[in-house]
Amino acid sequence: MDERRRRFEAQALPHIDAAYNLARWLARSRPDADDIVQEAMLRAFRGFDGFRGDDMKAWLLTIVRNCWYTWASDARRRAHTQLPSSDGAGGEETLPTNEAGPEDIVISNDEGRKLNDVILQLPSELREVLIMRELEDLSYRDIAQITGSPIGTVMSRLSRARALVKSTWIERTERSVRHGSS
Amino acid sequence: MVHPNPERLQAYFDGELDATAAAEVERHSETCAQCQAELDSFSATQKSVRENLTYHRADPGLRRRVLAALPAGTRERPQLSSFFARVGEFWRGAIGGALATGLAASLALFTMLPSVTDPLTIDIANAHVRSLMSDHLIDVASSDHHTVKPWFATHADVSPPVKDLGSRGFALVGGRTDYVDGHRASVVVYRHGAHVINVFAWAAQGANSAKTVSRSGYRLVFWRNGDLDFCAVSDAAPAEVETLVALIKSPG
Repeated sequence: MDERRRRFEAQALPHIDAAYNLARWLARSRPDADDIVQEAMLRAFRGFDGFRGDDMKAWLLTIVRNCWYTWASDARRRAHTQLPSSDGAGGEETLPTNEAGPEDIVISNDEGRKLNDVILQLPSELREVLIMRELEDLSYRDIAQITGSPIGTVMSRLSRARALVKSTWIERTERSVRHGSS
Repeated sequence: MVHPNPERLQAYFDGELDATAAAEVERHSETCAQCQAELDSFSATQKSVRENLTYHRADPGLRRRVLAALPAGTRERPQLSSFFARVGEFWRGAIGGALATGLAASLALFTMLPSVTDPLTIDIANAHVRSLMSDHLIDVASSDHHTVKPWFATHADVSPPVKDLGSRGFALVGGRTDYVDGHRASVVVYRHGAHVINVFAWAAQGANSAKTVSRSGYRLVFWRNGDLDFCAVSDAAPAEVETLVALIKSPG
């Protein structure tokens, strides 16, 4: 095996879980996340010689996100030719939602499943920021770099994402408490 | 009373403010019930999100497919997955631009931490990666510090402090021995959310070189305590790694 490949496997491959987690939360489907991660790893491998930075994880996630973006625009274009949508911004929501995989079934508690659903329904630009912050512990600066947005934008998206989770969550919890007690 | 604006309060909550700004917000929120309530609500939302959200890990099959698809030589054309094969031509143009942007951003970003060339740092980062990739994360698996500590005493050169920090969000996973830059090291392994934190300890030698560096997306915090040198390494958020380091340093 050549040296370049060995280095790639040692430096990039350990971040495959982070890559898959982001792809899965963005694409919301297992086969699509698989495709996106495979493609992203190949592109990273090809661009590996040009990578001079120090943060392999952030670099890889940038590529994952770009791959997802291409995939999503293509899916949206196809969806639109079949079913013209009146609102452009919400077009992505016509994508098929996540089918349950084995590990989803593991979350048998209702509360956990509902919260996952709430976050799957967030607009993607809010969802990605929340996932990167809360599941990957990335800094504002890293998230800004990965999403190619100013830090101020990251802050306001994170704040909107949290506010939406909070309000939807509380609303659902209160509704279920009312139903449960009746 | 002037409240910090909501995003500033959030940045404080996320540990993203510098020390001076953070102290200001802290002073304010100590006496401001409204801001304190806002912080509590951030905390509650974060707790339920972190406890309930699924962290989707790549299954071994995907890892194998990725490895199989990597070209063995430098000139072979890799196989593209179905969707990307169709848009491949478009991408060859687009990715160049995207990568250049990402690269420029990452260069700008990482001038902040000193660049790393010393063999000890490289060895520890590599040992951390090995521990995540192979099954050799732990030699003794236990969440009980009363089990891990004596194990070091009988199996390793040095017996570092092993703390029960589960209530602080750092679950003890176990311990192992490792070998870095000529030192036999004892490694205490903690988990924080989805992230593994390896804390290396070895007999101190030479000058104290306490420092924080970054390598391959991992943060390494070095410090010395008594006759032991330590290094905590993880891809968890810098603030979380610092918190763990502070907890380990604290007596008791």
